[in-house]
Amino acid sequence: MNWILRANLKRRKARLALTIGGIAIGVATLFALLSFSAGIATALERELDSLGAHIIVLPVGCPYSLTLSLMQGADTIEYIDEASLAEFRAVDNVHIAAPAVVGRAKVNGTLTPVYGTDIQTALLKNWELDSFEGAVVGSKAAADLKLSAGDTINVSLYAPVTIPVVKVLPVTGGRDDTFVFLPLAIAQKVLALEGKVSAVLVRTSDVSRVSETRSTLGHMLGVQAVPPSEVFDTLVGILATVRQTMILIAGIAIAVGVFTTMNTMIMSVQERRRDIGLLRAVGATRREVFRLFLYESVVVSAVGGLVGLAVGYVATLLLPRASGLGLEALPQYSPAFIGICLVVAVAVGAIAALYPAMMAARVEPIRALREL
Amino acid sequence: MIVELKNVSKEYGRNGTRFVAVRDVDFRVSSGDFVSIVGPSGSGKSSLLHLVGCLDRPTAGSVLVDGQPTDKLSDTELSRVRRDRLGFVFQQFYLNDAMTALQNVLLPLELARVKGRVEMARAALADVGLCGKESNYPSQLSGGEQQRCAIARALVNSPEILLADEPTGSLDSASGKSVLELMECLHTTRGLALVIVTHDPAVAARAHQHIAIHDGRVQ
Repeated sequence: MNWILRANLKRRKARLALTIGGIAIGVATLFALLSFSAGIATALERELDSLGAHIIVLPVGCPYSLTLSLMQGADTIEYIDEASLAEFRAVDNVHIAAPAVVGRAKVNGTLTPVYGTDIQTALLKNWELDSFEGAVVGSKAAADLKLSAGDTINVSLYAPVTIPVVKVLPVTGGRDDTFVFLPLAIAQKVLALEGKVSAVLVRTSDVSRVSETRSTLGHMLGVQAVPPSEVFDTLVGILATVRQTMILIAGIAIAVGVFTTMNTMIMSVQERRRDIGLLRAVGATRREVFRLFLYESVVVSAVGGLVGLAVGYVATLLLPRASGLGLEALPQYSPAFIGICLVVAVAVGAIAALYPAMMAARVEPIRALREL
Repeated sequence: MIVELKNVSKEYGRNGTRFVAVRDVDFRVSSGDFVSIVGPSGSGKSSLLHLVGCLDRPTAGSVLVDGQPTDKLSDTELSRVRRDRLGFVFQQFYLNDAMTALQNVLLPLELARVKGRVEMARAALADVGLCGKESNYPSQLSGGEQQRCAIARALVNSPEILLADEPTGSLDSASGKSVLELMECLHTTRGLALVIVTHDPAVAARAHQHIAIHDGRVQ
Protein backbone atom coordinates (compact mmCIF):
# COMPACT_ATOMS: atom_id res chain seq x y z
CA MET A 1 0.00 0.00 0.00
CA ASN A 2 2.92 2.36 0.68
CA TRP A 3 3.80 2.95 -2.93
CA ILE A 4 0.12 3.52 -3.82
CA LEU A 5 0.06 6.15 -1.07
CA ARG A 6 3.29 7.77 -2.28
CA ALA A 7 2.07 7.84 -5.88
CA ASN A 8 -1.17 9.52 -4.85
CA LEU A 9 0.49 12.02 -2.53
CA LYS A 10 3.06 13.21 -5.03
CA ARG A 11 0.30 14.22 -7.46
CA ARG A 12 -0.56 17.38 -5.53
CA LYS A 13 2.60 18.47 -3.78
CA ALA A 14 1.56 22.05 -3.03
CA ARG A 15 -1.75 20.96 -1.53
CA LEU A 16 0.01 18.27 0.47
CA ALA A 17 2.45 20.86 1.86
CA LEU A 18 -0.42 23.18 2.84
CA THR A 19 -2.28 20.37 4.59
CA ILE A 20 0.84 19.36 6.48
CA GLY A 21 1.35 23.03 7.36
CA GLY A 22 -2.21 23.34 8.70
CA ILE A 23 -1.76 20.39 11.02
CA ALA A 24 1.75 21.48 11.98
CA ILE A 25 0.51 24.88 13.19
CA GLY A 26 -2.00 23.27 15.56
CA VAL A 27 0.51 20.73 16.86
CA ALA A 28 3.25 23.37 17.24
CA THR A 29 0.87 25.55 19.26
CA LEU A 30 -0.05 22.64 21.49
CA PHE A 31 3.57 21.56 22.00
CA ALA A 32 4.75 25.10 22.80
CA LEU A 33 1.85 25.54 25.21
CA LEU A 34 2.52 22.31 27.07
CA SER A 35 6.27 23.00 27.24
CA PHE A 36 5.82 26.54 28.53
CA SER A 37 3.12 25.59 31.02
CA ALA A 38 5.40 22.98 32.54
CA GLY A 39 8.29 25.44 32.49
CA ILE A 40 6.28 28.15 34.25
CA ALA A 41 5.14 25.76 37.00
CA THR A 42 8.75 24.69 37.55
CA ALA A 43 9.94 28.31 37.59
CA LEU A 44 7.29 29.19 40.15
CA GLU A 45 8.30 26.31 42.39
CA ARG A 46 11.97 27.23 42.03
CA GLU A 47 11.34 30.88 42.93
CA LEU A 48 9.31 29.96 45.99
CA ASP A 49 12.00 27.49 47.06
CA SER A 50 14.66 30.16 46.60
CA LEU A 51 12.89 32.33 49.16
CA GLY A 52 14.09 29.75 51.68
CA ALA A 53 11.14 30.45 53.97
CA HIS A 54 8.59 28.24 55.69
CA ILE A 55 6.16 31.13 56.12
CA ILE A 56 5.81 34.46 54.31
CA VAL A 57 4.41 37.29 56.39
CA LEU A 58 2.69 39.84 54.16
CA PRO A 59 0.61 42.96 54.61
CA VAL A 60 -3.14 42.53 54.38
CA GLY A 61 -4.20 42.17 50.71
CA CYS A 62 -4.05 39.51 48.06
CA PRO A 63 -1.28 37.18 49.28
CA TYR A 64 -0.61 35.77 45.82
CA SER A 65 -0.08 39.04 44.01
CA LEU A 66 2.03 40.29 46.94
CA THR A 67 4.19 37.15 46.79
CA LEU A 68 4.56 37.51 43.04
CA SER A 69 5.60 41.16 43.45
CA LEU A 70 8.15 40.06 46.02
CA MET A 71 9.58 37.46 43.63
CA GLN A 72 9.55 39.83 40.67
CA GLY A 73 11.01 42.78 42.59
CA ALA A 74 7.97 44.91 41.72
CA ASP A 75 6.57 47.76 43.84
CA THR A 76 3.60 47.04 46.07
CA ILE A 77 1.14 49.47 47.62
CA GLU A 78 0.76 47.77 50.99
CA TYR A 79 3.57 47.49 53.53
CA ILE A 80 4.26 46.11 57.00
CA ASP A 81 5.49 48.42 59.74
CA GLU A 82 9.19 47.64 60.33
CA ALA A 83 8.57 47.89 64.05
CA SER A 84 6.56 44.66 63.87
CA LEU A 85 9.74 42.79 62.95
CA ALA A 86 10.79 42.51 66.58
CA GLU A 87 7.37 41.07 67.47
CA PHE A 88 7.67 38.42 64.75
CA ARG A 89 11.13 37.45 65.96
CA ALA A 90 9.77 37.08 69.47
CA VAL A 91 7.16 34.50 68.36
CA ASP A 92 7.84 30.96 69.58
CA ASN A 93 9.47 28.68 66.96
CA VAL A 94 10.55 31.60 64.70
CA HIS A 95 14.20 30.94 63.93
CA ILE A 96 14.78 33.52 61.21
CA ALA A 97 12.60 36.49 60.28
CA ALA A 98 14.17 38.26 57.32
CA PRO A 99 12.64 41.56 56.18
CA ALA A 100 12.32 42.42 52.50
CA VAL A 101 11.57 45.71 50.84
CA VAL A 102 11.58 45.58 47.06
CA GLY A 103 11.33 48.07 44.23
CA ARG A 104 13.23 49.38 41.24
CA ALA A 105 16.02 51.91 41.49
CA LYS A 106 18.81 53.20 39.26
CA VAL A 107 22.04 51.37 39.90
CA ASN A 108 24.88 53.19 38.13
CA GLY A 109 22.18 54.81 36.01
CA THR A 110 20.41 51.54 35.03
CA LEU A 111 16.95 50.72 36.37
CA THR A 112 17.44 47.51 38.36
CA PRO A 113 15.34 45.55 40.89
CA VAL A 114 16.64 46.22 44.39
CA TYR A 115 15.94 44.17 47.49
CA GLY A 116 16.50 45.68 50.92
CA THR A 117 17.09 43.26 53.77
CA ASP A 118 19.43 42.41 56.63
CA ILE A 119 21.85 39.69 57.66
CA GLN A 120 18.93 37.32 58.36
CA THR A 121 18.41 36.93 54.59
CA ALA A 122 22.06 35.92 54.28
CA LEU A 123 21.34 33.16 56.81
CA LEU A 124 18.10 32.21 55.01
CA LYS A 125 19.82 31.93 51.63
CA ASN A 126 23.18 30.57 52.89
CA TRP A 127 25.26 33.47 51.50
CA GLU A 128 28.14 32.99 53.94
CA LEU A 129 28.32 36.64 54.98
CA ASP A 130 29.46 37.77 58.43
CA SER A 131 27.87 41.18 58.12
CA PHE A 132 25.61 42.98 55.66
CA GLU A 133 27.32 46.35 55.31
CA GLY A 134 27.37 46.73 51.52
CA ALA A 135 25.59 45.62 48.37
CA VAL A 136 25.24 41.94 47.48
CA VAL A 137 24.74 41.61 43.73
CA GLY A 138 23.01 38.77 41.85
CA SER A 139 25.09 37.11 39.13
CA LYS A 140 23.07 38.45 36.18
CA ALA A 141 22.88 41.96 37.61
CA ALA A 142 26.65 41.88 38.17
CA ALA A 143 27.21 40.79 34.58
CA ASP A 144 24.81 43.41 33.16
CA LEU A 145 26.23 46.20 35.28
CA LYS A 146 29.83 44.90 34.99
CA LEU A 147 30.29 44.74 38.75
CA SER A 148 32.57 42.71 40.96
CA ALA A 149 33.29 42.64 44.68
CA GLY A 150 35.12 45.78 45.80
CA ASP A 151 33.46 48.07 43.23
CA THR A 152 31.36 50.99 44.36
CA ILE A 153 27.86 51.58 43.03
CA ASN A 154 25.59 54.60 42.95
CA VAL A 155 22.00 53.74 43.79
CA SER A 156 19.34 56.38 43.35
CA LEU A 157 15.62 56.91 43.06
CA TYR A 158 14.24 59.24 45.74
CA ALA A 159 17.65 59.61 47.37
CA PRO A 160 21.17 58.94 46.07
CA VAL A 161 23.43 56.48 47.89
CA THR A 162 26.96 55.30 47.20
CA ILE A 163 27.79 51.86 48.54
CA PRO A 164 30.50 49.22 48.00
CA VAL A 165 29.80 45.83 46.52
CA VAL A 166 30.73 43.23 49.14
CA LYS A 167 29.76 40.09 47.29
CA VAL A 168 28.65 38.83 43.89
CA LEU A 169 26.37 35.81 44.30
CA PRO A 170 26.85 32.62 42.32
CA VAL A 171 24.30 31.78 39.62
CA THR A 172 21.04 30.43 41.09
CA GLY A 173 18.97 30.28 37.89
CA GLY A 174 16.21 32.29 39.62
CA ARG A 175 15.20 35.89 40.16
CA ASP A 176 17.87 36.33 42.86
CA ASP A 177 20.34 36.58 39.96
CA THR A 178 18.70 39.85 38.86
CA PHE A 179 18.58 41.62 42.24
CA VAL A 180 20.92 44.09 43.87
CA PHE A 181 20.52 43.33 47.60
CA LEU A 182 21.02 46.36 49.84
CA PRO A 183 21.03 46.84 53.61
CA LEU A 184 17.43 47.46 54.66
CA ALA A 185 17.84 51.07 55.81
CA ILE A 186 19.63 52.06 52.60
CA ALA A 187 16.98 50.44 50.37
CA GLN A 188 14.23 52.12 52.39
CA LYS A 189 15.96 55.48 51.98
CA VAL A 190 16.44 55.04 48.22
CA LEU A 191 12.84 53.88 47.72
CA ALA A 192 11.44 56.45 50.21
CA LEU A 193 9.96 53.63 52.27
CA GLU A 194 11.51 54.44 55.66
CA GLY A 195 10.07 52.25 58.42
CA LYS A 196 8.27 49.95 55.94
CA VAL A 197 8.93 46.45 54.65
CA SER A 198 7.19 44.57 51.79
CA ALA A 199 7.30 41.16 53.49
CA VAL A 200 9.04 39.14 56.15
CA LEU A 201 10.35 35.69 55.30
CA VAL A 202 10.19 33.35 58.27
CA ARG A 203 12.02 30.10 58.86
CA THR A 204 10.96 28.04 61.83
CA SER A 205 13.13 26.04 64.23
CA ASP A 206 10.74 23.08 64.25
CA VAL A 207 9.19 22.43 60.84
CA SER A 208 6.52 20.15 62.33
CA ARG A 209 5.04 23.19 64.11
CA VAL A 210 4.83 25.44 61.03
CA SER A 211 1.01 25.58 61.04
CA GLU A 212 0.95 26.61 64.70
CA THR A 213 3.54 29.35 64.07
CA ARG A 214 1.68 30.46 60.99
CA SER A 215 -1.49 30.77 63.01
CA THR A 216 0.23 32.90 65.65
CA LEU A 217 1.80 35.21 63.06
CA GLY A 218 -1.43 35.40 61.06
CA HIS A 219 -3.34 36.68 64.07
CA MET A 220 -1.04 39.66 64.50
CA LEU A 221 -2.45 43.06 63.57
CA GLY A 222 -2.27 44.18 59.91
CA VAL A 223 -0.49 41.12 58.55
CA GLN A 224 -1.20 37.70 57.13
CA ALA A 225 0.99 34.60 57.14
CA VAL A 226 1.01 32.15 54.24
CA PRO A 227 3.20 29.12 53.55
CA PRO A 228 4.89 29.11 50.12
CA SER A 229 3.27 25.75 49.34
CA GLU A 230 -0.18 27.38 49.57
CA VAL A 231 0.95 30.22 47.31
CA PHE A 232 2.33 27.64 44.90
CA ASP A 233 -0.88 25.61 44.84
CA THR A 234 -3.03 28.69 44.28
CA LEU A 235 -0.81 30.14 41.56
CA VAL A 236 -0.60 26.75 39.84
CA GLY A 237 -4.40 26.68 40.00
CA ILE A 238 -4.52 30.10 38.33
CA LEU A 239 -2.02 28.83 35.76
CA ALA A 240 -4.23 25.81 35.13
CA THR A 241 -7.13 28.13 34.32
CA VAL A 242 -4.93 30.12 31.97
CA ARG A 243 -3.68 26.87 30.47
CA GLN A 244 -7.22 25.66 29.87
CA THR A 245 -7.90 28.83 27.91
CA MET A 246 -4.70 28.34 25.95
CA ILE A 247 -5.58 24.70 25.29
CA LEU A 248 -8.91 25.92 23.95
CA ILE A 249 -7.00 28.20 21.56
CA ALA A 250 -4.75 25.29 20.55
CA GLY A 251 -7.93 23.22 20.15
CA ILE A 252 -9.28 25.80 17.71
CA ALA A 253 -6.02 25.63 15.75
CA ILE A 254 -6.31 21.84 15.72
CA ALA A 255 -9.98 22.01 14.67
CA VAL A 256 -8.89 24.21 11.76
CA GLY A 257 -6.40 21.45 10.94
CA VAL A 258 -9.23 18.89 10.93
CA PHE A 259 -11.32 20.96 8.54
CA THR A 260 -8.32 21.73 6.30
CA THR A 261 -7.47 18.05 6.08
CA MET A 262 -11.10 17.08 5.53
CA ASN A 263 -11.41 19.65 2.76
CA THR A 264 -8.25 18.36 1.11
CA MET A 265 -9.43 14.77 1.36
CA ILE A 266 -12.88 15.57 -0.05
CA MET A 267 -11.26 17.36 -2.99
CA SER A 268 -8.93 14.43 -3.42
CA VAL A 269 -11.84 11.96 -3.48
CA GLN A 270 -13.70 14.07 -6.05
CA GLU A 271 -10.64 14.39 -8.26
CA ARG A 272 -9.83 10.71 -8.02
CA ARG A 273 -13.30 9.29 -8.67
CA ARG A 274 -12.04 7.71 -11.90
CA ASP A 275 -9.13 6.06 -10.07
CA ILE A 276 -11.48 4.85 -7.34
CA GLY A 277 -13.83 3.47 -9.99
CA LEU A 278 -10.94 1.64 -11.59
CA LEU A 279 -9.77 0.31 -8.22
CA ARG A 280 -13.26 -1.03 -7.58
CA ALA A 281 -13.39 -2.52 -11.08
CA VAL A 282 -10.14 -4.43 -10.55
CA GLY A 283 -11.45 -5.85 -7.29
CA ALA A 284 -10.96 -3.38 -4.44
CA THR A 285 -13.69 -3.73 -1.82
CA ARG A 286 -15.40 -0.71 -0.29
CA ARG A 287 -13.48 -1.39 2.91
CA GLU A 288 -10.14 -1.38 1.05
CA VAL A 289 -10.96 1.94 -0.61
CA PHE A 290 -12.03 3.34 2.78
CA ARG A 291 -8.80 2.11 4.36
CA LEU A 292 -6.68 3.59 1.57
CA PHE A 293 -8.04 7.11 2.13
CA LEU A 294 -7.96 6.78 5.92
CA TYR A 295 -4.35 5.60 5.78
CA GLU A 296 -3.44 8.46 3.45
CA SER A 297 -4.94 11.05 5.79
CA VAL A 298 -3.35 9.55 8.90
CA VAL A 299 0.09 9.46 7.25
CA VAL A 300 -0.22 13.09 6.13
CA SER A 301 -1.36 14.10 9.63
CA ALA A 302 1.45 12.16 11.30
CA VAL A 303 3.96 13.97 9.06
CA GLY A 304 2.20 17.23 9.98
CA GLY A 305 2.56 16.23 13.64
CA LEU A 306 6.29 15.64 13.29
CA VAL A 307 6.77 18.95 11.45
CA GLY A 308 4.62 20.63 14.14
CA LEU A 309 6.81 19.18 16.90
CA ALA A 310 9.94 20.53 15.19
CA VAL A 311 8.34 23.95 14.64
CA GLY A 312 6.99 23.99 18.21
CA TYR A 313 10.41 23.12 19.61
CA VAL A 314 12.12 25.89 17.62
CA ALA A 315 9.34 28.31 18.64
CA THR A 316 9.91 27.58 22.33
CA LEU A 317 13.60 28.36 21.85
CA LEU A 318 12.90 31.63 20.06
CA LEU A 319 9.95 32.97 22.07
CA PRO A 320 10.72 35.52 24.82
CA ARG A 321 11.70 33.87 28.09
CA ALA A 322 9.78 36.17 30.44
CA SER A 323 6.29 34.74 30.44
CA GLY A 324 3.67 33.35 32.79
CA LEU A 325 3.14 35.38 35.97
CA GLY A 326 6.13 37.57 35.05
CA LEU A 327 8.56 34.81 35.92
CA GLU A 328 11.46 33.89 33.73
CA ALA A 329 10.42 30.45 32.57
CA LEU A 330 12.37 28.07 30.38
CA PRO A 331 10.23 25.61 28.40
CA GLN A 332 10.29 22.12 29.78
CA TYR A 333 10.12 19.14 27.43
CA SER A 334 8.73 15.73 28.13
CA PRO A 335 8.29 12.55 26.07
CA ALA A 336 4.65 12.69 27.21
CA PHE A 337 4.20 16.01 25.36
CA ILE A 338 5.63 14.49 22.18
CA GLY A 339 3.28 11.53 22.62
CA ILE A 340 0.25 13.77 23.20
CA CYS A 341 1.05 15.88 20.13
CA LEU A 342 1.53 12.87 17.86
CA VAL A 343 -1.65 11.22 19.13
CA VAL A 344 -3.53 14.47 18.49
CA ALA A 345 -2.06 14.70 14.96
CA VAL A 346 -3.00 11.12 14.10
CA ALA A 347 -6.47 11.64 15.59
CA VAL A 348 -6.86 14.76 13.43
CA GLY A 349 -6.02 12.70 10.35
CA ALA A 350 -8.36 9.87 11.29
CA ILE A 351 -11.31 12.13 12.18
CA ALA A 352 -10.81 14.31 9.10
CA ALA A 353 -10.69 11.25 6.83
CA LEU A 354 -13.84 9.52 8.05
CA TYR A 355 -16.34 11.36 5.87
CA PRO A 356 -14.14 11.59 2.72
CA ALA A 357 -13.16 7.92 3.07
CA MET A 358 -16.85 6.97 3.33
CA MET A 359 -17.50 9.07 0.21
CA ALA A 360 -14.74 7.20 -1.58
CA ALA A 361 -16.02 3.81 -0.43
CA ARG A 362 -19.50 4.64 -1.74
CA VAL A 363 -18.26 5.44 -5.26
CA GLU A 364 -20.03 3.22 -7.78
CA PRO A 365 -17.38 1.94 -10.20
CA ILE A 366 -19.48 2.22 -13.35
CA ARG A 367 -20.79 5.67 -12.61
CA ALA A 368 -17.26 6.91 -11.77
CA LEU A 369 -15.76 5.41 -14.93
CA ARG A 370 -18.55 6.85 -17.10
CA GLU A 371 -18.03 10.37 -15.75
CA LEU A 372 -15.13 10.98 -18.12
CA MET B 1 -16.01 -20.39 -15.37
CA ILE B 2 -19.52 -19.68 -16.62
CA VAL B 3 -21.30 -16.34 -16.36
CA GLU B 4 -24.94 -16.53 -17.23
CA LEU B 5 -27.56 -13.80 -17.54
CA LYS B 6 -31.18 -14.95 -17.14
CA ASN B 7 -33.91 -12.60 -18.29
CA VAL B 8 -31.79 -9.65 -17.13
CA SER B 9 -32.95 -6.04 -17.32
CA LYS B 10 -31.18 -2.88 -16.16
CA GLU B 11 -32.87 0.46 -15.63
CA TYR B 12 -31.26 3.78 -14.80
CA GLY B 13 -32.95 6.84 -13.37
CA ARG B 14 -32.30 10.06 -15.28
CA ASN B 15 -33.81 13.36 -14.14
CA GLY B 16 -36.85 11.63 -12.68
CA THR B 17 -37.39 9.49 -15.77
CA ARG B 18 -36.49 5.82 -16.12
CA PHE B 19 -34.18 4.65 -18.84
CA VAL B 20 -34.01 0.95 -19.70
CA ALA B 21 -30.48 0.10 -20.83
CA VAL B 22 -30.87 -3.69 -21.02
CA ARG B 23 -34.20 -5.54 -21.50
CA ASP B 24 -34.86 -9.20 -20.79
CA VAL B 25 -31.48 -10.47 -21.96
CA ASP B 26 -30.45 -14.11 -21.77
CA PHE B 27 -26.76 -14.60 -22.35
CA ARG B 28 -24.02 -17.02 -21.39
CA VAL B 29 -20.24 -16.89 -21.59
CA SER B 30 -17.97 -19.81 -20.69
CA SER B 31 -14.22 -20.38 -20.53
CA GLY B 32 -12.70 -20.34 -24.00
CA ASP B 33 -15.52 -18.34 -25.68
CA PHE B 34 -14.83 -15.34 -27.89
CA VAL B 35 -17.93 -13.16 -28.02
CA SER B 36 -18.46 -9.79 -29.65
CA ILE B 37 -21.26 -7.45 -28.59
CA VAL B 38 -22.18 -4.99 -31.33
CA GLY B 39 -24.78 -2.30 -31.67
CA PRO B 40 -25.20 1.44 -32.19
CA SER B 41 -24.28 4.02 -29.55
CA GLY B 42 -26.62 3.94 -26.57
CA SER B 43 -27.94 0.51 -27.46
CA GLY B 44 -26.87 -0.98 -24.10
CA LYS B 45 -23.63 -2.78 -25.13
CA SER B 46 -21.52 -1.42 -22.29
CA SER B 47 -24.33 -1.88 -19.76
CA LEU B 48 -24.56 -5.53 -20.78
CA LEU B 49 -20.78 -5.92 -20.43
CA HIS B 50 -20.86 -4.36 -16.96
CA LEU B 51 -23.56 -6.83 -15.92
CA VAL B 52 -21.51 -9.76 -17.22
CA GLY B 53 -18.48 -8.35 -15.38
CA CYS B 54 -20.32 -8.01 -12.05
CA LEU B 55 -19.57 -4.28 -12.08
CA ASP B 56 -23.28 -3.56 -11.86
CA ARG B 57 -26.33 -5.39 -10.53
CA PRO B 58 -29.45 -6.01 -12.62
CA THR B 59 -32.78 -4.42 -11.71
CA ALA B 60 -34.59 -7.58 -12.87
CA GLY B 61 -33.53 -11.14 -13.69
CA SER B 62 -30.39 -12.72 -12.36
CA VAL B 63 -26.70 -13.01 -13.13
CA LEU B 64 -25.12 -16.33 -12.16
CA VAL B 65 -21.43 -17.03 -11.74
CA ASP B 66 -20.78 -20.77 -11.96
CA GLY B 67 -24.46 -21.29 -11.22
CA GLN B 68 -24.51 -19.09 -8.15
CA PRO B 69 -26.82 -16.03 -8.30
CA THR B 70 -24.80 -12.86 -7.74
CA ASP B 71 -27.69 -11.11 -5.99
CA LYS B 72 -26.90 -13.42 -3.06
CA LEU B 73 -23.29 -12.21 -3.01
CA SER B 74 -22.19 -9.29 -0.85
CA ASP B 75 -20.38 -6.32 -2.34
CA THR B 76 -17.11 -7.72 -0.99
CA GLU B 77 -17.76 -11.14 -2.55
CA LEU B 78 -18.53 -9.52 -5.90
CA SER B 79 -15.29 -7.53 -5.60
CA ARG B 80 -13.43 -10.79 -5.04
CA VAL B 81 -15.02 -12.29 -8.18
CA ARG B 82 -13.86 -9.27 -10.20
CA ARG B 83 -10.42 -9.34 -8.64
CA ASP B 84 -9.71 -13.06 -8.99
CA ARG B 85 -11.70 -14.23 -12.01
CA LEU B 86 -12.37 -11.33 -14.36
CA GLY B 87 -10.26 -8.81 -16.21
CA PHE B 88 -11.38 -5.48 -17.64
CA VAL B 89 -10.05 -3.38 -20.50
CA PHE B 90 -11.63 -0.01 -21.26
CA GLN B 91 -11.57 2.32 -24.24
CA GLN B 92 -9.97 5.10 -22.16
CA PHE B 93 -7.33 2.75 -20.60
CA TYR B 94 -7.86 4.28 -17.13
CA LEU B 95 -4.21 4.14 -16.17
CA ASN B 96 -3.17 6.08 -13.08
CA ASP B 97 -1.02 8.99 -14.33
CA ALA B 98 0.98 9.15 -11.08
CA MET B 99 2.03 5.50 -11.33
CA THR B 100 4.55 3.86 -13.62
CA ALA B 101 3.48 1.13 -16.03
CA LEU B 102 4.74 -1.47 -13.56
CA GLN B 103 2.82 0.10 -10.68
CA ASN B 104 -0.38 0.25 -12.72
CA VAL B 105 -0.07 -3.46 -13.41
CA LEU B 106 0.82 -4.14 -9.77
CA LEU B 107 -2.40 -2.56 -8.53
CA PRO B 108 -4.69 -5.64 -8.63
CA LEU B 109 -1.92 -7.81 -7.14
CA GLU B 110 -1.40 -5.32 -4.36
CA LEU B 111 -5.11 -5.53 -3.52
CA ALA B 112 -4.91 -9.34 -3.52
CA ARG B 113 -1.61 -9.20 -1.53
CA VAL B 114 -0.13 -11.82 -3.83
CA LYS B 115 3.42 -12.99 -3.10
CA GLY B 116 6.05 -12.30 -5.78
CA ARG B 117 3.82 -9.63 -7.30
CA VAL B 118 6.58 -7.49 -8.78
CA GLU B 119 7.88 -10.44 -10.80
CA MET B 120 4.32 -11.27 -11.89
CA ALA B 121 3.71 -7.67 -12.99
CA ARG B 122 6.99 -7.61 -14.95
CA ALA B 123 6.04 -10.88 -16.64
CA ALA B 124 2.60 -9.49 -17.55
CA LEU B 125 4.20 -6.42 -19.10
CA ALA B 126 6.62 -8.65 -21.01
CA ASP B 127 3.67 -10.75 -22.27
CA VAL B 128 2.10 -7.67 -23.84
CA GLY B 129 5.38 -6.49 -25.36
CA LEU B 130 6.20 -3.76 -22.88
CA CYS B 131 9.47 -5.19 -21.60
CA GLY B 132 11.79 -2.27 -20.76
CA LYS B 133 8.90 0.18 -20.32
CA GLU B 134 8.23 -0.72 -16.67
CA SER B 135 9.39 2.64 -15.34
CA ASN B 136 7.56 4.72 -17.93
CA TYR B 137 4.60 6.78 -16.83
CA PRO B 138 1.43 6.61 -18.97
CA SER B 139 2.29 10.01 -20.47
CA GLN B 140 5.54 8.47 -21.73
CA LEU B 141 3.71 5.64 -23.55
CA SER B 142 1.91 5.74 -26.91
CA GLY B 143 -1.85 5.05 -27.04
CA GLY B 144 -1.25 1.47 -28.15
CA GLU B 145 1.30 0.95 -25.38
CA GLN B 146 -1.08 2.38 -22.81
CA GLN B 147 -3.77 -0.05 -23.90
CA ARG B 148 -1.25 -2.90 -23.76
CA CYS B 149 -0.39 -1.81 -20.23
CA ALA B 150 -4.12 -1.85 -19.38
CA ILE B 151 -4.35 -5.37 -20.85
CA ALA B 152 -1.37 -6.44 -18.73
CA ARG B 153 -3.18 -5.05 -15.67
CA ALA B 154 -6.30 -7.01 -16.65
CA LEU B 155 -4.32 -10.22 -17.13
CA VAL B 156 -1.94 -10.11 -14.22
CA ASN B 157 -4.37 -11.90 -11.89
CA SER B 158 -4.83 -14.69 -14.45
CA PRO B 159 -8.57 -14.09 -15.00
CA GLU B 160 -10.79 -16.59 -16.76
CA ILE B 161 -12.77 -14.02 -18.72
CA LEU B 162 -11.44 -10.78 -20.22
CA LEU B 163 -14.09 -8.13 -20.78
CA ALA B 164 -13.12 -5.35 -23.17
CA ASP B 165 -15.20 -2.25 -23.79
CA GLU B 166 -14.21 -0.73 -27.16
CA PRO B 167 -10.53 -1.66 -26.59
CA THR B 168 -9.45 -0.23 -29.95
CA GLY B 169 -11.79 2.77 -29.90
CA SER B 170 -9.10 5.28 -28.89
CA LEU B 171 -6.32 3.86 -31.06
CA ASP B 172 -5.16 4.41 -34.60
CA SER B 173 -5.80 1.49 -36.94
CA ALA B 174 -2.28 0.02 -36.69
CA SER B 175 -2.25 0.14 -32.88
CA GLY B 176 -5.84 -1.15 -32.79
CA LYS B 177 -4.94 -4.10 -34.97
CA SER B 178 -1.91 -4.89 -32.86
CA VAL B 179 -3.94 -4.76 -29.62
CA LEU B 180 -6.62 -6.97 -31.11
CA GLU B 181 -4.04 -9.50 -32.27
CA LEU B 182 -2.58 -9.54 -28.79
CA MET B 183 -5.99 -10.26 -27.27
CA GLU B 184 -6.69 -12.99 -29.81
CA CYS B 185 -3.30 -14.52 -29.07
CA LEU B 186 -4.07 -14.56 -25.35
CA HIS B 187 -7.42 -16.16 -26.09
CA THR B 188 -5.80 -18.86 -28.19
CA THR B 189 -2.76 -19.58 -26.05
CA ARG B 190 -4.35 -19.31 -22.60
CA GLY B 191 -7.90 -20.37 -23.30
CA LEU B 192 -9.00 -16.99 -21.99
CA ALA B 193 -12.65 -16.17 -22.70
CA LEU B 194 -13.00 -12.83 -24.50
CA VAL B 195 -16.07 -10.61 -24.50
CA ILE B 196 -15.51 -7.52 -26.64
CA VAL B 197 -17.88 -4.60 -27.05
CA THR B 198 -17.22 -2.89 -30.37
CA HIS B 199 -18.58 -0.66 -33.09
CA ASP B 200 -16.07 -1.99 -35.54
CA PRO B 201 -17.41 -4.77 -37.80
CA ALA B 202 -13.83 -5.88 -38.48
CA VAL B 203 -13.24 -6.45 -34.79
CA ALA B 204 -16.61 -8.20 -34.39
CA ALA B 205 -15.81 -10.45 -37.33
CA ARG B 206 -12.91 -12.03 -35.43
CA ALA B 207 -15.22 -13.33 -32.68
CA HIS B 208 -16.77 -16.80 -32.75
CA GLN B 209 -20.06 -15.69 -31.28
CA HIS B 210 -21.86 -12.43 -32.05
CA ILE B 211 -24.50 -10.59 -30.09
CA ALA B 212 -26.27 -7.65 -31.67
CA ILE B 213 -28.06 -5.35 -29.29
CA HIS B 214 -30.52 -2.61 -30.10
CA ASP B 215 -32.46 -0.49 -27.59
CA GLY B 216 -31.34 -2.85 -24.86
CA ARG B 217 -32.71 -5.96 -26.57
CA VAL B 218 -30.57 -8.72 -28.00
CA GLN B 219 -31.59 -9.18 -31.66
